Amino acid sequence: MSSEPNAYSSHPPRLRDATILDKVVANGGVMSIALFFIVCCLFFAVTTDAFLTAPNLLNIIRQSAPLLIVAAAMTFVITTGGIDLSVGSVLALTATLSAAALQAGVPWPLAILLMLALGGVVGLVQGYFIAYERIPAFIVTLAGLSVIRGFALLITGGYSIPIEPTSPFVTIGRAWVLGIPAPALIAIVVLIVAYIAFNETHFGRYVTGVGANAEATRRAGVNTRRIILWVYILSGTASAAAGVILSARLGSGSSNAGQGFELDVIAAVVLGGTSLFGGRGSLVGTILGALTVAVLANGLILSHLSPFFTPIVTGFIILVAIWLNFRLFKDGARGR
Amino acid sequence: MTDTDVSRVRMTGISKRYGALQSLDNASLNLMPGEVLGLVGDNGAGKSTISKVLSGAVIPDAGTIEIDGRPVSFTSPAEARAARIEMVYQDLALCDTIDVAGNLFLGREPKRRIAGVPMLDKKTMHERARDMLSNLGIVIPDTRMKVENLSGGQRQSIAIGRAASFNPSVLIMDEPTAALAVAEVEAVLELIRTVSKRGVSVILITHRLQDLFLVCDRIQVMYEGRNVAERRIEDTNIEDVVNLIVGRKFTARSAGHNHQERGAPA
Repeated sequence: MSSEPNAYSSHPPRLRDATILDKVVANGGVMSIALFFIVCCLFFAVTTDAFLTAPNLLNIIRQSAPLLIVAAAMTFVITTGGIDLSVGSVLALTATLSAAALQAGVPWPLAILLMLALGGVVGLVQGYFIAYERIPAFIVTLAGLSVIRGFALLITGGYSIPIEPTSPFVTIGRAWVLGIPAPALIAIVVLIVAYIAFNETHFGRYVTGVGANAEATRRAGVNTRRIILWVYILSGTASAAAGVILSARLGSGSSNAGQGFELDVIAAVVLGGTSLFGGRGSLVGTILGALTVAVLANGLILSHLSPFFTPIVTGFIILVAIWLNFRLFKDGARGR
Repeated sequence: MTDTDVSRVRMTGISKRYGALQSLDNASLNLMPGEVLGLVGDNGAGKSTISKVLSGAVIPDAGTIEIDGRPVSFTSPAEARAARIEMVYQDLALCDTIDVAGNLFLGREPKRRIAGVPMLDKKTMHERARDMLSNLGIVIPDTRMKVENLSGGQRQSIAIGRAASFNPSVLIMDEPTAALAVAEVEAVLELIRTVSKRGVSVILITHRLQDLFLVCDRIQVMYEGRNVAERRIEDTNIEDVVNLIVGRKFTARSAGHNHQERGAPA
């Protein structure tokens, strides 16, 4: 057929360069959440006086730092096709333990390192059962949610543990650096590192590969179990960081902190266009998703509505955003 | 490259059991440098399993593997890749949500260091991916396209391109032409001839028996996990191979004889 060696030049030309529209469609999840975010901001800017003021916006970022940090890690977890339901419980455990450690006289830098290590170990244990024992992530982390919260309650007896307000520890949650709240700065650094890791490193590539086709990624010579183990270590560590920031900001460690936090985190990630089935993730989407959740909570309070409206509205927004994603972008993005 | 009598691949006594099913039962396989071996058999005969054992994707229960006379035991696909054994899997083993270049380099992405931190070198990846594809005559408009947006033939071309481009010494192809049009099949067969001339040993698994006679030096027939026959290509014909595959005298009209019977009631 073809005479020149080593050539199968017989492909019919199916040439079509990727157009701008293709790129918009391919990033459909991010586009729709960006739209939602802008609409929410405009709505609250118009309907309330206080929303669009610098102190309020900085406050939103300050309060949403734990959400942003954990959602960044959760993006990795969900992109592998997994889930981590235990993040709220890890947050509570590390919040209480950091308060308890400070009360017991542990120097604050050591307390922080211990908490991060604890979160990492919790992630390691859960990740081991998920990656090496092949137990579904939903079940392992559901058990983790229960067990870890139980430990937090047991340690405190249900009371919250105060942190000395003079301790340098609280600056993590309360300090302002260059006009930006410290928790927000930490969150920004975490997000930048996460963005680079997700999009520009081998690890991020294999996270996507595991979610898209774990067996193909394994056959390509990647140690897929270790990748899965690592994403749970990341989410455990991120949850611990969130717990430290929260207890530092509030000046106490409460075992009831972070009830339902995992749902906010998952909502933020899914709103951002990351697929629960794995293989498709976007950190930019996650940031927008987390900020949307935070803006909604803040704006509804500023609108003098009952704070109990927040979960109702958030739930509806999630449903509508995902529905839009499916309707508007599904056909284009999954052309085959 | 073909200066010795040492087999490129020698697999002996390979057994593998999946629960109640003995997928491979004391199977063996021998492959010389530059040789093209056709592996045929019914569905479930163990062709894919024995090739996955060689590619490290399946770990056998028993048996030995020698590559160029040296015994090896692969515990992961990474080790087989390091021994320059590449495989085109029947299911293609592509990641749909990763782009063309990413799939070609999956598991061996080029690195660049930024402040000592290893990162994906995407620029090099896309440049080299374009070269790899054009060397093989594969037309993909953009190496940044996600694989899920490609046609079946393009996807198959990428799976073949990935296996053929990293200087393999053994190239295993499990049904590489299943999704291809006639002209594309022709091109894959041409590729097999070319690489085998360079000394690459090829294992071709296919149900298209006529293809075997165009490229293979030898045919090995498997039946229910065992080797049942081996033929030099010049000593056999399609009818013979069909009979060996099904294990009895069989008149397969699809094998190209008895044209006058076509359409007659079975």
